[in-house]
Amino acid sequence: MAPQWTAQPVLAGRGLVKRYGNEHALAGVDIDVTAGEAIAIVGPSGSGKTSLLHVLAGILPADEGQVFLAGQRIDQLNEANRSELRRKEFGFVFQNGMLVDELTAQENVALPMLLGDVAKAQALRAAREWLDQLDLPGLAERRPGELSGGQAQRVAIARALAHQPKVIFADEPTGALDTRTGEETMRALLDAAAQTGAAVLIVTHDRDLAASLPRTVAIRDGRVASEVPA
Amino acid sequence: MNPFVLGLRVMRADRRTRTSSILILVGVAVATILVSLLASLPQAVQERSERTGWQEPISTSEEDATMRVSSTVDHFGDTAIKRIDIAADSPKAGAELPPGVPKLPGPDQVVLSPALAELIKENPEAMLAKRFAGAQVGTFGEESLSAPDQLVALVGHQPTELTSEAVPVASLNDGIGTSDGMLELLAGVGIVVLLVPSLVLVASASRLTAARRERRLAALRLAGATPRQVLGMVAAETALAAIAGALLGLLAATPLHQVVSHVPWAGATWQPDDFTLPVSISVLIAVLIPALVVLAATLGLRRVATNPLGAANAQERQRPKAWRLLAIPVAGLAFLGALASGQGSQLAVLGGLALVVLAATLAGPWLTSVIGGVFVRAWRRPALLLAGRRLRDDPKAAYRASAGVVLAVFTGSMALTVLGSIEAMAGGGSEYRDNVLYVRAEADSAKRIVRETNENLGQNGLRASAISVPMTYLSDAEGQQVQGMVLDCSSAKELTRFEGVTCPAQPSVLSPTSLAGQLSAEYEPGGQQQRLPADTPVWSADTADPVLANMALVDPALLPEVADKGTVTVVLPTTPDTLEVARSALASAAGGAEVRSLPTMLAEQDAKLADLRRVTVIGLLTAGLLAGASAAITAAGSVLDRRRTFGSLMAAGTPLGVLARALRAEAALPALVATLGAGALGVGVGFGLLTLIEGSIPMLNAWSLVPVGLGILVALIAATAAAPTLRRVRSEPLSDE
Repeated sequence: MAPQWTAQPVLAGRGLVKRYGNEHALAGVDIDVTAGEAIAIVGPSGSGKTSLLHVLAGILPADEGQVFLAGQRIDQLNEANRSELRRKEFGFVFQNGMLVDELTAQENVALPMLLGDVAKAQALRAAREWLDQLDLPGLAERRPGELSGGQAQRVAIARALAHQPKVIFADEPTGALDTRTGEETMRALLDAAAQTGAAVLIVTHDRDLAASLPRTVAIRDGRVASEVPA
Repeated sequence: MNPFVLGLRVMRADRRTRTSSILILVGVAVATILVSLLASLPQAVQERSERTGWQEPISTSEEDATMRVSSTVDHFGDTAIKRIDIAADSPKAGAELPPGVPKLPGPDQVVLSPALAELIKENPEAMLAKRFAGAQVGTFGEESLSAPDQLVALVGHQPTELTSEAVPVASLNDGIGTSDGMLELLAGVGIVVLLVPSLVLVASASRLTAARRERRLAALRLAGATPRQVLGMVAAETALAAIAGALLGLLAATPLHQVVSHVPWAGATWQPDDFTLPVSISVLIAVLIPALVVLAATLGLRRVATNPLGAANAQERQRPKAWRLLAIPVAGLAFLGALASGQGSQLAVLGGLALVVLAATLAGPWLTSVIGGVFVRAWRRPALLLAGRRLRDDPKAAYRASAGVVLAVFTGSMALTVLGSIEAMAGGGSEYRDNVLYVRAEADSAKRIVRETNENLGQNGLRASAISVPMTYLSDAEGQQVQGMVLDCSSAKELTRFEGVTCPAQPSVLSPTSLAGQLSAEYEPGGQQQRLPADTPVWSADTADPVLANMALVDPALLPEVADKGTVTVVLPTTPDTLEVARSALASAAGGAEVRSLPTMLAEQDAKLADLRRVTVIGLLTAGLLAGASAAITAAGSVLDRRRTFGSLMAAGTPLGVLARALRAEAALPALVATLGAGALGVGVGFGLLTLIEGSIPMLNAWSLVPVGLGILVALIAATAAAPTLRRVRSEPLSDE
């Protein structure tokens, strides 16, 4: 049965402030993310977009403000609970894939499930299915060093989606790829996320990529400078 | 650009390079301290030996002699006192004195070391001063003593007072110190055992930046730098830290020499200056160690220099082959073979150790890879999978951290196995009971010694209980020969280890060895024989004491003339309360002959074993600490090398505990396996060595487990060392540094 979308934000940030010394990376950001939607976060270097992603994902604690996941406040959780939350409710796609070099593609995809105490056989089977789904058949036993940039990024997407998270955070996911591979990779990510109903937040410098997404949030000097659609 | 300038620039800009340089500096400093200390040992032995050579004068012909000297060891409690009894025959005797010896004492005069003079003052006269009766005419200077606290007495006599143990001597300056082969061997072993972990520590420190440096240098190569330029930069970067470390090590070694001079060896500590190395050796150490470190660093980067793209892409490494395992039995057999053929010479032992190092270097990575393979096949949890893959992918790097401890555990297990079995052999050795003091002397001297001893005892209100026990060689009709103590049975029960025998009613021979037919006695081997009465009863002495196996008890009535012939033992029973007074009474009458007893003999054995145990444990602990530091640095370095991976895993919600467990398994398991393997090999080779020692019984003892415990400690240090670095990564998981 297809997922049912609701208007209530799956993820929300209110008055988010993040400081590094005297520098304000975030100076009071409000943002709502609805289930299943894809948002591009754009802005010049140092504007605070990556900090926003990290604060929303609970990787970094906010100095001020609140973060809600499905209406529940999550910014006050301790590190252990935030880790569990990231493992179970979020998926991550970083630039260059950031796969574990020692593991095969299949094991990399299975890793979040294994960490969530899913049985080994079940996790590996699910990982294999995701790799097939992302057009990576026959690459399951390869190590990251044996994959092309686009293939590695698809493995990373499979890893981010395998445990069916509510939100996927992607930081410059096509930054190291050529245009065509980048487009293919993004299409794979958005299609797969649409299947699971996961919201996708993508930090990018790529204007074309941002323009192809239904919603864009521009950050400047730690604040939301504009939103499309407004 | 000048490679040194570039090296300095990198160090200024890169925090991790700075950290690595500091660790290299510390590692080189530690290695320099250890090597300079160990290199100074043979020289320290030589210094001490030359200083105390006069205490062991060499004999000369009667024509050249100017004095007669007897050099023995006395005891006060368990403390050894060097005693030199001297009778100067000629005015020339004191013409040339060794440094620190103020004068030769005449009859009834003594020269004492400061520590002995102090000890004499602190104790009742009858207990100690009586042994060195006479006026103190001088005090030894430090240049004549092994250590400031050595107890030494030079006791003057009339020539007739000395026993036949005294030898003719031309000059005390003719004394030559004996070299200490054991300590020289231990110094050599120490250099091998401690230098390797020191260098591993340095290698671990330099590996902290290896991944980043490989990338940087690969980039430089790709930008057009020649291999020579690249290697020059590495050499310069490493040399800066290594040279500074070597200089720091030499500086720090000086105060440490003072500390080491308090560690006793062969019954004495050292003079602080004994460990001061000649400048030439210090310079050699300061050049050689940094050179080794620089060489290792440049060799480690050959791959980058010759194939930068290969390094940049970090292609898969070749897996070690199984033939490497053969190196272990080959090295073990070669070690034993070398020892057997070389009669335990230093070269054989050190060569054998070098073989073991080589074997461990060859077999260790293969073993590590196999362990990794087991994890990869059998994993159930991600931590074991991650650890297994790491061990499988780069077993050489994973094993590197264990290399130092492997050697330390092997050597320690071997040494302590041998030591334990030798300890088990110690003991026995005297036919007299523990409470009996005795002196060997010629028959003529013995009468005087007995008389004077009993007089001395009487003066102190003690019973005149010294008696003489003539010694003979007893032969039966079939040529069976045993040593005979001419002593009545009831006295023998009181004084000797024949304490359990039943005394026959009539004069008899009691022997644990069966004797048959006509018995005859001689007073020295090959001397004139005297027949015992034909009807002499021979009783079997029922004792299993091995010391008495070739001894017999002969009633004096069977050999009435024996007291005037051959060698006699003057024996004196004591009680714990009268021991030192009795020893003084006997020593002052003994005319330079050594006063012995079973406890003092055992104490000497114990002291030698304690020396060996002490240096073994000190060496092991040092090696263990070095290996632990290496393992810790390696573990921390492996986190830094994979910071981005770990960071992304943490960002994605991987609990710190899972990564910590993976790192623990990765660091601890090779160390544990290496420890157990090296321990087993060490015990095996130790047992092999014992087969070369006659009468030894190979046995495991608690000390043999010390190195294994040490290895486990290292493994635990390694296992926990990554946690702080991981926590730092967690605080900012996605930052670059």
